[in-house]
Amino acid sequence: MAVIEFHDPSGTIEVTQRHAPRVGALAGKRIGFVSNEQWQAYRMLPLLKTLLEADFPGIEVLPIDAFPQGNAVIGSEETAALVKASGVDAVIIGNAA
Amino acid sequence: MTNAVAGLGLAPDAAMVTFPIDMFLPGSDISPVEARRQEFYHGLTRWRSAFGDGAAGEAPMLRVEGTSVEDAFARANHLMLANRWGDGLPLWPPTRERVNWILGGAAQPRGRTLGTFPPRGGVTTIESCAIALAMAGGRPEYLPVLVAAVEAFLDPQSGSEALQAASGSAFPVVIVNGPIGAGIRLNAGFGCLGPDPQRPAGASIGRALRLLQQNLGGALPGVGTMANYGGLRYTNVIFAEDEASLPAGWAPHGTERHGFPPGTSSISLAFANGATNIRRRGAKKETPEEDARQGMHRMADFMRVPNMAGLAGYERGTPGILMIPGVVAQTMAGLGWTKASMREFLWEHSRIPADQLRRAGGAAWIEIDTSKVARESLALDPWPITASPDNFILVVAGGGHPTNSYWLQGYSPGVVGRLIELPASFEHLLDEAERDLGAR
Repeated sequence: MAVIEFHDPSGTIEVTQRHAPRVGALAGKRIGFVSNEQWQAYRMLPLLKTLLEADFPGIEVLPIDAFPQGNAVIGSEETAALVKASGVDAVIIGNAA
Repeated sequence: MTNAVAGLGLAPDAAMVTFPIDMFLPGSDISPVEARRQEFYHGLTRWRSAFGDGAAGEAPMLRVEGTSVEDAFARANHLMLANRWGDGLPLWPPTRERVNWILGGAAQPRGRTLGTFPPRGGVTTIESCAIALAMAGGRPEYLPVLVAAVEAFLDPQSGSEALQAASGSAFPVVIVNGPIGAGIRLNAGFGCLGPDPQRPAGASIGRALRLLQQNLGGALPGVGTMANYGGLRYTNVIFAEDEASLPAGWAPHGTERHGFPPGTSSISLAFANGATNIRRRGAKKETPEEDARQGMHRMADFMRVPNMAGLAGYERGTPGILMIPGVVAQTMAGLGWTKASMREFLWEHSRIPADQLRRAGGAAWIEIDTSKVARESLALDPWPITASPDNFILVVAGGGHPTNSYWLQGYSPGVVGRLIELPASFEHLLDEAERDLGAR
């Protein structure tokens, strides 16, 4: 019998922050979009806005361009501050491919 | 996407709704968004992460048993492939003994953290580098180069965070300057980008870097990296500048680009997404001056292309790395050329007429570029492929033959340099290499 022991090469991952808490229900909530403007986001996200407004009474869905758009800016602290200041309950981020 | 999420320090799952790529193409049918809208609603309301809070821990040791050493070795390789830790070629299992041997080349403690490898965010230590180098068939004297390359790779200026996952098939190019190149048998001459049993350092170091990109960074084809083609990714590109062939007055790359004193060992890391051999030499009875000038035009012509990926480095990166053999450098210098005058010539003659740029849709890419300098360059006709001649990387490397030069097309937001730190025992490691591999 031959035995080989070796290191797991995948290392470790450190979780340093939590995912945002979920909203209990969507009716009456204020929802925003953060768009990278790529991959048909300019069509898909407006469709989602329409669907949300149709399905949930009292929901307020901000326009797609309420926050800065584009890969270069959506990950910035400035955009995050604008999102926070807007008072939205949740945001949908799109689109990746 | 899970890699990107983990790279931000979040648990590696996230509330996502995923669709086939077809839906993301121009003119696509987006009705699946409506059909699956409940998944979006679920993500906003009831979704929960499957991961709890956690800190970095110890990577476990793995154990395989076989009926013989041969059988155990095969089983270890099967286990690594099953876990998607390899490149498909045979790997040295990173045993304690082999990793400890490699760590003999460490100038820093094994537990020192170098950062997290994007996009997955695997915690990267000196030991992680030694594990990857062990798997790649490396030796301890290679470790200082790998560690410097990893430090440069993880520097945000390199752009690795985006390029690791991007579709454009970027691969790191590591140029080594200083005495360490010859010391560890890093090829600077014939076939310096290819396999070489007498000078295997580049293959091992580059393969180790790729294994780190995959194993810690999660850059697996079609999952963590969306590279359409992934060329030159088995070993990346690691070579030494042929400093012995530099003409008098020509500074090494590390000195020119990063200001490192000549004679110091250093690395310079950029990203490229293409590799082209250029037949530089003339065919008939050209004078030396004609041969040089025609060759310069031919090289500039290869660069005069709408490489929109290259916009990533328009302002501060590089449009690419041009390699010329030492014999050509000597001839050019004899005719009065310098590295600076060659770069100036290439910059001027690789400019693209505005109508050709617009015809190819290049203007639209430039208009949406994040760099103001790049956007404003649209006013220039012909359009320069990079903001400054100084952005071209020109290195002397390759076999002593005058016919060809080599162009590594850039996809490089930055060019990052690092000095190489050596352990006190480094000369002893070179002696051991001489014992194991024969005389240099």
